[in-house]
Amino acid sequence: MIKNRWFVIVSLVLVCALCATGCKNRKAGGRHAGDNIGGSTELGDQGLASRPEGDLQILTAVKYDAVLFDYDSSQIRESERSKLQAVADYLKNNVGVGVIIEGNCDERGSADYNLALGERRAEAARAYLIGLGMDGANIQTKSYGEEKPVDPGHDEAAWRLNRRDEFVFFKR
Amino acid sequence: MPTAQKIIRGLSVAFLIAGHMACLDGLAQVRVTKSLNEASFLDISGFRSGSDNASMNFRRVLESDLTRSGWFNLSGGGRAEFSVIGGGNLQGGRLVVRCDAYNVMTREKLLSKTYQDEANEARTLAHRVADDIVYALTGQPGMASAKVLMTGNRTGNKELYLCDADGGSLRQLTRDKAISLAPHWDPAGRRIVYTSYYRTQFPDVFIIDLSGGDRRCVADFPGLNSSAAFSPDGRELALILSKDGNPDLFVMDVNGGRLTKLTETTRAAESSPAWAPDGQQIVFVSDRSGTPQLYIISRSGGEPRRLAVGGSQNVDPDWGGNGYIVYSSLSGGQFRVFVVNPATGETRQISREDANYEDPAWAPDGRHVFCVRRQNYQSRIFVIDTLSSSCISLLKESERGDWFSPDCSGKYKSKK
Repeated sequence: MIKNRWFVIVSLVLVCALCATGCKNRKAGGRHAGDNIGGSTELGDQGLASRPEGDLQILTAVKYDAVLFDYDSSQIRESERSKLQAVADYLKNNVGVGVIIEGNCDERGSADYNLALGERRAEAARAYLIGLGMDGANIQTKSYGEEKPVDPGHDEAAWRLNRRDEFVFFKR
Repeated sequence: MPTAQKIIRGLSVAFLIAGHMACLDGLAQVRVTKSLNEASFLDISGFRSGSDNASMNFRRVLESDLTRSGWFNLSGGGRAEFSVIGGGNLQGGRLVVRCDAYNVMTREKLLSKTYQDEANEARTLAHRVADDIVYALTGQPGMASAKVLMTGNRTGNKELYLCDADGGSLRQLTRDKAISLAPHWDPAGRRIVYTSYYRTQFPDVFIIDLSGGDRRCVADFPGLNSSAAFSPDGRELALILSKDGNPDLFVMDVNGGRLTKLTETTRAAESSPAWAPDGQQIVFVSDRSGTPQLYIISRSGGEPRRLAVGGSQNVDPDWGGNGYIVYSSLSGGQFRVFVVNPATGETRQISREDANYEDPAWAPDGRHVFCVRRQNYQSRIFVIDTLSSSCISLLKESERGDWFSPDCSGKYKSKK
């Protein structure tokens, strides 16, 4: 199990964002130009990979089971690990394929907080896949918070299915 | 400006918002002559309006705004405390309004002003006059001219909507057929910052300039870009980014450029920042303790301090110009809206018990709070008067769909 490792104490990271250009054309392997100013931070594998550019070919036929979570938790449960192993096996056997991990929450609580919680759920799966030897550069995370329930119900049976990571595979 | 009346009124606002909190900054020593939530009788029988549509519409909206302000009772019996005379009429196709307001007892003239505008701007003009009357008689800004942003799902997608503080003039701002979330005003009420998936299918932060109508992306880093809030000077955004591998709180120049990371929690999620009125502190939500709770951090970083309030979850804070933070708190399976004095930690519940009340936002009068009322899995925006406890629907019942994430322009205008 891979845990977040921060070897570098980053007190204030000053980043020259590229927003003056309207956020277009962000490049360079998960780091933005301007990161690492003065060597104050080193993101290594911890920083997220930059978003894939251009039109993605979504492999809609490739489906893997959603990883489910406990209420208000982003811990990968032991029961869900085999699902991530299956995703890792698929990626291993399909070079050039990347995955978008979509983190989701049940409808309860703050929608804004759930957006952050959904991102943590996606990043927990990302960290687990990296621990299985996957290249983080091929893994994107996206949170839908509570905005995309798979079950519209309002009870625990629905909520347990909605607290999930989904896997969307793509080719660049 | 100050008449004795206004001073007492002004002070009493702060006092009343504190409600039943114990002595707050000595304000409790102010002698308030009437019961705390009692409206003053305002006599507007001497205000004459024309019988044309524009003048009648003006009159209707003005009366509604004055009543909604919470300060006035327009139909009270007995001797009026204040009076408004003058009138509104069409003159050469324009709506011309004369307004004089008096303290009846002292005969002091508190407002004397002439207005004019296009006939089809009757609503807007009525809001302006109402806010001037409120200010002249209470020393507090009104909320009638404020605009409320929200998201609504009636088209099948969450899009941005805008309406007046009385629920009128509802209009749809975005037609992206994508998810739009968490809209917030800039302090001047000219720009909107919000999160949308429309361009990249990932959550990015955009600013819409209402004057020119253009929209630009200000954050599309890898992962999550969300929850952005303008600083009180309009120059910076507090927002949540996960580009470093985990959602954390950042401050960013609105025009791009400098980005400062304020939190460094590799095992926790941050969300929902809101700036203090002086721009020196930010309240936000973090689940570093295991559940989402409120924290306050300096705008330049450092160790945040937890706002110790009750409830198993405390979320969606908004910091008003009056210095108080409004937020929603979960306990016993129900969300309630509270106001907290961040200096003392004293809290007061302002929502009722009949439904879940969530995601509150201050009005510019520092007295009203817009929030989501959720009942039977339907979400609507309600307006709570923190003094009188009145709680009314913002939009007409006939407006279809669910409504979320209200944010009211001018929240930093209210006074301590």
